[in-house]
Amino acid sequence: MKIILVWSAAVLICAFSAKGLAQAEDQYYNDRYCTTCHGVDGIGNEGVSAPRLAGMEPWYLQRQLESFRAGTRGTHKMDVQGSEMQPMAAKLSDDSIADIVAWVGSWEYKPAQITVKGDAEAGKSLYATCAACHGTQGEGNEAFAAPALAGQSDWYLKTQLENFKAGYRGRDPRDSFGSQMVAMASMLKDEAAIKNIVSYINTLGR
Amino acid sequence: MSNSVSRREFMNLLGATFGTNALIQMGSALSLMPTTASAASLSLAAPIAGKGKVLVLGAGISGLTVAWELTKAGYDCTVLEASNRAGGRVMTVRSGDVVDEIGNNQVCEWDNEPHMYFNAGAARIPSTHRNLLGYCKELGVELEMFINESKTAYVQDDAMLGGARIRNGEMSTNVRGFLAELFAKCYTSAQLDQPFSDTESEKILGLISQFGDLNENMLYKGSSRAGYVSGGFLDHGIQKDMVAFKKLMESQMLGLSFTANEGETGPMLMQPVGGMDMVIKGFTRALGDKVVYKAPVTGITLKDDGVDVSFERDGVRQSISADYCFNCIPSHLMTGIPNNYPSDYFESMSSIKRGEAYKSAFQAKKRFWEDEDIYGGISWINAPIQQIWYPPHGIHKAKGVILAAYNFGGGMHFTKMSQAQRVEAALAQGEKLHPNYREMVEKPITIAWHRMNHMLGCSGRWGSGFGGWTDEIQTLFDRLQQPTPGGRHYFIGDQVSYHGAWQESAIASAHWALADMDLRARNMGV
Repeated sequence: MKIILVWSAAVLICAFSAKGLAQAEDQYYNDRYCTTCHGVDGIGNEGVSAPRLAGMEPWYLQRQLESFRAGTRGTHKMDVQGSEMQPMAAKLSDDSIADIVAWVGSWEYKPAQITVKGDAEAGKSLYATCAACHGTQGEGNEAFAAPALAGQSDWYLKTQLENFKAGYRGRDPRDSFGSQMVAMASMLKDEAAIKNIVSYINTLGR
Repeated sequence: MSNSVSRREFMNLLGATFGTNALIQMGSALSLMPTTASAASLSLAAPIAGKGKVLVLGAGISGLTVAWELTKAGYDCTVLEASNRAGGRVMTVRSGDVVDEIGNNQVCEWDNEPHMYFNAGAARIPSTHRNLLGYCKELGVELEMFINESKTAYVQDDAMLGGARIRNGEMSTNVRGFLAELFAKCYTSAQLDQPFSDTESEKILGLISQFGDLNENMLYKGSSRAGYVSGGFLDHGIQKDMVAFKKLMESQMLGLSFTANEGETGPMLMQPVGGMDMVIKGFTRALGDKVVYKAPVTGITLKDDGVDVSFERDGVRQSISADYCFNCIPSHLMTGIPNNYPSDYFESMSSIKRGEAYKSAFQAKKRFWEDEDIYGGISWINAPIQQIWYPPHGIHKAKGVILAAYNFGGGMHFTKMSQAQRVEAALAQGEKLHPNYREMVEKPITIAWHRMNHMLGCSGRWGSGFGGWTDEIQTLFDRLQQPTPGGRHYFIGDQVSYHGAWQESAIASAHWALADMDLRARNMGV
């Protein structure tokens, strides 16, 4: 409780100096908003459909932020979750993105909670195709521009596979990486297949 | 004249005209007039020695209520607030304020004068909200009347009268005239359950005539209540022509003037002088340095005899232990904070949907509405902005702040737009109510609650909307209202009430939790 009193005193001193307050405000309103939606230390928050960021590869995070900023991702009307993210990224500068990537990189990998229930055994054979790029343990492969899947929020993986399949993500002509996934996801015949594959991914790398 | 309208048909017509649809669109259950226990009924015992440490998570009005009541009872309270300001959705925007929307920060550049403010969240205090009024009195928050209805404000609908605006009073007078004529025609042969004597019938027909300003033949042929075209003081007044009901019924907003100002949004309504956040300032003044800002919670651990809470301040993680914890963090943000809640409790929390309300405001270079005999109230438009509010305060001053949009349901319409698109939409729609609007307003502020930092939503919604309460939802609600096992952690706020989006609901939730905690503490002490 003592510590809090000291802080409050510091706040009061700041408040008496207009310049000090202005500086404090500048510092407060930076672009490090991620945790409001993506949860403490990027653990993800299904409550606002924000996936886990903790442990995400810097190169993948940077590319996605740039895609959202450019509007190659999150601009399809049916991409409900992506269209929430897109305007938040639209105003980010290169410096802001670099800052965010470094900040997110300071969070430890923490596998997300398991929420999707499917047949992991059935999903295993389907995953063979994915493994070519994303790795047998879902560890990802930067050389193929394929992010890690292990430990990611499973409801998010499900939504993204559905979005790729339906063409809500990856159809922008500028999104060459996404277009590969459109082709892959189109081979999954229904929701059960998607649930099965995600359930198998849930068994990897935990 | 044949009487072709049966009583049943008449009632059906009424139902169709003023049915639940309008109520649902209103966004608040206007038919509800909930009453709460008065503040005086809350009588908290002093803490048991060594059991008096309380953590309040979130400086919304429910959290502040708990902190204030427990401080008075002798508890040692600390309020952790993630934002740089208290109040949550009780938010007033003034000159120099930053609107902290993620991806769309705005700085308010309005003239720096006491009447130049915008209540971006809570904006009205009904006279039945006795707990909130009680705190205003206790904390020295000066109140003034808020005007919700003005007969001289407008209604506009592209589907009605060729899109021409009509004064609220002219519309309601003509609708009432039509209804009264219909009443009178029905009454003459009505088969009512209770027969009336001739004298009583005369009274009833008199009332019907008064209601709609009918002529001696019980017909509606227009009324001076709708206003004059000209004259009235030194010349004979020229009455406006009646507007045929058939023309008005093209509008979906036909019943508005009969529903919008009844129940909880009926007179009298109040507002604090200088902005709704004066209520919050009343609490924070009383609580002093017990409220810690910019201190987002990073973890909650329930224990048998208390609660551990970790939080971040200036980039440093800290932890505090307390005997009790009252939590008004929005449920959809709480699900992204590590915790050890029981699974059913967490499930209840996860089941609340986030509201999508949107508001915006302009600085008006001139109080142009006063030139049109408007001094408060609301104009309604069948367009996404839905409403324009004229400030009842600052009358006859040079400028004013005008509410330019209040989209209370499906508010994602504006939320998804860029700032420039939001502003253009508000101007284009507002022009239909005031042709000179675009020239008269400047310096827009938009509030998309769904994207406001530390909030990410307006009032929580149980079930699919304002209706649709089921047994399943009841179970989830009851679970969340109860404390966690051991009685050391309470989830509070309007999100744990049957009547979201009102300050009184948040206070009622806080009082429920306090009374429950007090009872448990007393039993423990025995």
